[in-house]
Amino acid sequence: MLINDFAKNPIISTGGLINNHVRIVVESNKRATFICNRKDTSSAGIHCMIMTSRDNGGTCMTKTEKKGNIELEALKDVVVNIGGIEEEEEEWEPMGPTPMPGMADLRDWDYKLMDRYKPFYAPYCEMCCFCTFGKCDLTGGKKGACGLDMAAQQARFVTVACLIGCSAHTAHGRHMLHEILHLVGDREIDMGTAINIEAPLTRLVTGIKPKKLSDFIPVLNYVEEQIAQVMDSIHTGQEGSNIDYESKAFHVGMLDSLGKEVADILQIVAFDLPKGDPDAPLVEIGMGCIDETKPMLLVIGHNVVPSVSVIDYMRERDLEDKIEVAGICCTAIDTTRYSDKAKIIGSIGRQLRFVRSGISDVIMIDEQCIRADILEQAEKISAPLIATNDKAMHGLVNRTKDSADDIITILVSGKEPGVVILDPVKAGEVAVRLVQIMHEKRKGLVHLPTDEEFAEYVAMCQNCDANCVIACPQGLPIGVANKAAAAGDIEPLADLFDLCVGCGRCEQVCKKHIPIVDVIHKAALPAVKAEKGMMRVGRGPVLDTEIRNVGAPLVLGTIPGIIAIVGCGNYPNGTKDVYLMAKEFVERKYIVVLTGCGAMDAALYRDEDGKTLYEKYPGDFDGGCIVNIGSCVANAHIHGAAIKVASIFARRNIRANYAEIADYILNRVGACGMAWGAMSQKAASIASGVNRIGIPVVIGPHGWKYRRAYLGRKDVDEDWMVYDARDSSQVRIEPAPEHLLLAADTLEEAIPLMARLCFRPTDNSMGRQVKLTHYMDLSMKYLGAYADDWPVFVRTEADLPLAKKEEYLKMLKEDFGWDVDLETKKIISGPIRKMDVGFDATNLEEMLKENK
Amino acid sequence: MDIPFDIGNISGPEMGRVATPEALGRAIKNAKRPLLVVGSEILEDGLIDTAITIGKKGIPIAATAHSMQGFVDAGYTDNVHLAGLHELANNIKSPDWMGFDEKGGYDLVVVLGGIYYSMSQFLIGIKNFATDPLVRCVSIDRYYHIAARMTFNNISRKRTDEFKELLGRVVQSI
Repeated sequence: MLINDFAKNPIISTGGLINNHVRIVVESNKRATFICNRKDTSSAGIHCMIMTSRDNGGTCMTKTEKKGNIELEALKDVVVNIGGIEEEEEEWEPMGPTPMPGMADLRDWDYKLMDRYKPFYAPYCEMCCFCTFGKCDLTGGKKGACGLDMAAQQARFVTVACLIGCSAHTAHGRHMLHEILHLVGDREIDMGTAINIEAPLTRLVTGIKPKKLSDFIPVLNYVEEQIAQVMDSIHTGQEGSNIDYESKAFHVGMLDSLGKEVADILQIVAFDLPKGDPDAPLVEIGMGCIDETKPMLLVIGHNVVPSVSVIDYMRERDLEDKIEVAGICCTAIDTTRYSDKAKIIGSIGRQLRFVRSGISDVIMIDEQCIRADILEQAEKISAPLIATNDKAMHGLVNRTKDSADDIITILVSGKEPGVVILDPVKAGEVAVRLVQIMHEKRKGLVHLPTDEEFAEYVAMCQNCDANCVIACPQGLPIGVANKAAAAGDIEPLADLFDLCVGCGRCEQVCKKHIPIVDVIHKAALPAVKAEKGMMRVGRGPVLDTEIRNVGAPLVLGTIPGIIAIVGCGNYPNGTKDVYLMAKEFVERKYIVVLTGCGAMDAALYRDEDGKTLYEKYPGDFDGGCIVNIGSCVANAHIHGAAIKVASIFARRNIRANYAEIADYILNRVGACGMAWGAMSQKAASIASGVNRIGIPVVIGPHGWKYRRAYLGRKDVDEDWMVYDARDSSQVRIEPAPEHLLLAADTLEEAIPLMARLCFRPTDNSMGRQVKLTHYMDLSMKYLGAYADDWPVFVRTEADLPLAKKEEYLKMLKEDFGWDVDLETKKIISGPIRKMDVGFDATNLEEMLKENK
Repeated sequence: MDIPFDIGNISGPEMGRVATPEALGRAIKNAKRPLLVVGSEILEDGLIDTAITIGKKGIPIAATAHSMQGFVDAGYTDNVHLAGLHELANNIKSPDWMGFDEKGGYDLVVVLGGIYYSMSQFLIGIKNFATDPLVRCVSIDRYYHIAARMTFNNISRKRTDEFKELLGRVVQSI
């Protein structure tokens, strides 16, 4: 029923569930009371969406949640839509100021961040082609036909990239929720005895403490609604301010982190994946780890539900040791979290090469980061393709309703190169039965060039150095390497294998039609077959108990920092860089966490004792440990760890209290993200979410193509003023962290940079000593010189590393003009500020003691 | 049309003009406050010698990535400044940045030995946002750089000797 006029016949539209539970008493044409009549005493609230008329004839919409009764006054033409009854919540923490924030609710925090870390743009395209007024040339300060300028267009594009990434993670979570509720039912969320804060981001952003999986429904509803709202702002003629587009990008990044947390907790609970187990099992990884004598099922994508069905089907029939199931991308990581008998081929860079190798008898795809030409590639190797997700159906016939027998008959006959099966259980059965048949059928097929073909191809190459090199995103010297191979030295060509990102752009433009990807693979075959690493299965969340141990050392700086190596595989110089980064920092007792492609690629390399990082170092969240958190969606647990430091160590309320916690993390938690091979839109949204919560990120050189960095200016005093919450005084702090998002060109540049970005204003002297030790040492090791900015991190002589104190005091005096008494080893003047043990740094006026 | 080194890297209607070494040298010579920006590829093919020769003509050098190692090994660090490329771009386009010597910003940036795609973005950032005051960019690198005002065309690594000869002519013209 709709209310037209309160004075007449009030009409209420209800949500079905609550018929007869809500009574409306109309007292006048201006006042109505809604009374919840449910006898069930667990019910305590009404969720109402109320649309009212404004005096000027427009309409407005408000959303209210209240216990008991809702009163509306001064209304006209009210339409009431009453949704579900809410269960009464225990008051586990006071509700903070921003439950389920909209675009404008955390804008002040975003502006504070950007006051210090101003957006810097390097346009990847100087035009806008979003609408039919264009294309518009935005160079030279020109605006487009709609009035938008270059900066705003870059920020708008960044927001679009973040929206795509956020949608990917969130829709993945939503998709899994549907399947999980259907397959396993609504489960209680039990993250084990060592985790009390089960969903830190959910608590922080929405104010909801989820108890069962269906409690994530309103969380996903919120994220999805916000995605639509922000996407609206992308339309022509919406936002004109680049700063406000950046704020929206931050907002979407935050939503993305929330969507990821939901997705990972769903799969952890539903499939009993590790719940923060530091001793999670080790699994094999690498192109060389597959037993080619067995049928081999390749899974590619990010949505683990079909792979779980595969594993279940095999377990029921005792087939786990008889069939190789291995994957590429995060489906691989998550499959191994479910079954440690599954294997990982590797990250996205290995996809095309492994498919072309022909080792896979059947390829099963789900969603995200799958090659768009996967069907063509599968056909080339005569392996049927099973598409299990509606986001990636590749023009195949949807045979979800067909019987497994019929599907298998069609695929074995080759009548169709693949099928869509959207039922994960059926897909699992078909995949397992099919792979055994196809393994026999495909025996003897040859896929890579023979030795003779290889010799012909490399001889054919004219080293024109024209097409392939400029088509290659890495600019690899393909022709030179071919020529060397033709002369008998295949090493230059073999070396290209790991540098190559496996895109195939070179082959399309070769005038001689040389299958360059396969030729490089052939040259590297011995090394490929030897590629066998070990990776610790993704453990998921950080334990509350671990946070209790590391919270203080992290905030005070004696654990020098958290290095989070995440992201895709578009590296500038091959996969070994992420291994070297992780190795350098774990040896220095940083906490090193990894996810996604980074986690996989770091597992490929062994030290002189033959051990991979995961075999050598423990998997605890502690200094000197290597922690595989999990897949892309598991990145949320990195945010979660930082939030838990605020909650457990600092006893801050986290419920719907985003800005305060982000402010805490920015000022106290020495963490730095590293997305060395960032490529995708998901990486863009992940970085934005990490930035909003106060953690800086370094990206690889391809990351310049994301168009926007957040850069601080250490020389601008006013950008580094923060409050001391104790007395509201303003303090000029050192630039810590100096930037929020920037690219580094090389490994050697990135490593000291990451160390520098782990400084925080609240480091105590011991912590500052530790951090300075590493920063100075790493600068000298990798750059051959100390950075000329290192004195900004010295507040007192006690901050100087003991082993080199005299040397550094002399440098401060002679090179930087500080007033230093070398005899007493005291600094008289020079530091930006004095050391203050109790300094309570905050950027928020509301945190000042006088305001509380 | 000249082809970008990364073939898809066509960003807009204005693309860099291919210039002779002498024209590039004159542009550097006529600048009031030029800055040479080098990247990690300066450590290849003896290019560091060219950078040092230019530096000895009084032009400051911003050593990005880990290129400083080359200058340290060569024993030439006078007026060579460690810098991150992203941070440097931001500083250059900021009217209030006083440069490495704190005497003012730069009016001409010359790039050599950078990774193609990151240097291309560095140049495009300065092209579009270092406009007031105007900072011009030229490239003497082996790539056709779309966002430089003046640039060489793509010079294959097969022709490194030819590239070094061109660099010699640039240096002579400074």
